[in-house]
Amino acid sequence: MKITLVKKIKQDGSLCKKCEEVQQKMEAAGQMAFIDEVLIADERDPSSPGMELASLYQVERAPFFVVERDGQPAEIHTVYFKFVKEVLNQKTQEKDELKEILNDNPDLDFI
Amino acid sequence: MAENRLNTVDLDSELSQKSPEEIIEYALDTFDNIAISFSGAEDVVLIDMAHKINPDKVQVFSLDTGRLHAETYRFIEKVREHYGIEIDVVFPDSNAVNQLVREKGLFSFYKDDHKECCSIRKIGPLRRKLLTVDAWITGQRRDQSPGTRTSIPAIQDDKAFARPDDSLTKFNPLANWSSQQVWEYIRSNNVPYNELHDQGYVSIGCEPCTRPTGPGQHEREGRWWWEEATQKECGLHAVNIKQ
Ligand code: SF4
Repeated sequence: MKITLVKKIKQDGSLCKKCEEVQQKMEAAGQMAFIDEVLIADERDPSSPGMELASLYQVERAPFFVVERDGQPAEIHTVYFKFVKEVLNQKTQEKDELKEILNDNPDLDFI
Repeated sequence: MAENRLNTVDLDSELSQKSPEEIIEYALDTFDNIAISFSGAEDVVLIDMAHKINPDKVQVFSLDTGRLHAETYRFIEKVREHYGIEIDVVFPDSNAVNQLVREKGLFSFYKDDHKECCSIRKIGPLRRKLLTVDAWITGQRRDQSPGTRTSIPAIQDDKAFARPDDSLTKFNPLANWSSQQVWEYIRSNNVPYNELHDQGYVSIGCEPCTRPTGPGQHEREGRWWWEEATQKECGLHAVNIKQ
């Protein structure tokens, strides 16, 4: 299995806030050890490796994870807690999961 | 189990051209286990439309955060009686609410922001409910948010709330409608509505986090008005980068 993490650099050159948060969480939890490759999706450069991967898999969110297993189509994960649970088989806190859902989907404010 | 994953991207370009009624009809025809999310506000039009299309298939749920206006509770009850339907009122996890209130009080959202309270009182019960269905219908509209990048498709693959290794389809039949169109529908079809609307409330949420808006104000300004109206920017925006 190969896991690629794609992080976004915004147009002003800074790392996107969520990418930063996810990276911090992963470092604190020792999860970076499971990541084989980290690619940058630079919004200023559509040909940056991360942007190319985003367009290949039609991903519109960052960060995202590409999970490749032998003989199977690549799996894309844009929800961090689901990636942790389903790919890394690790436990997550419900409180964090719910917050991530709301942060990623501000339209839920109108539910 | 929703074994037949829909190609929601292709379907969206087709359904976006359709009327809300046609989208609801498609949703009800395609899924047996489907529920309408009803917030106790103008999204009542979804219930009215679905009831006219197929009254036997109207499954409705409402999230009771414990902080709604008395008027909203009265309205939910009125809708239940008017349409003769069951409304599944779902509640937050009492332990989680208890812990939040014990640690941060009853109005933590004024000091922090609304995210923690909303995730406990709304998103938690919503997720629990959505684990039991294959598809859901919301009253979300593009014009509810002032953000220029807001995209609310007519149909989407809801990855956030899907059961593990399964899919959940979300329909937003009102995505392309304006607030005015919703109100024209309510008036011309004699649809019951929340009495708060007559008191100047445009968007209705929880009592401590909702206020009436004045002329020219965007409805979003009636919700969490003490927070800065910043947009969440998690998307990858390749468009216009070159120039
Ligand atoms: S709208 Fe306000 S009271 Fe209601 S759940 Fe959100 S923060 Fe809590």
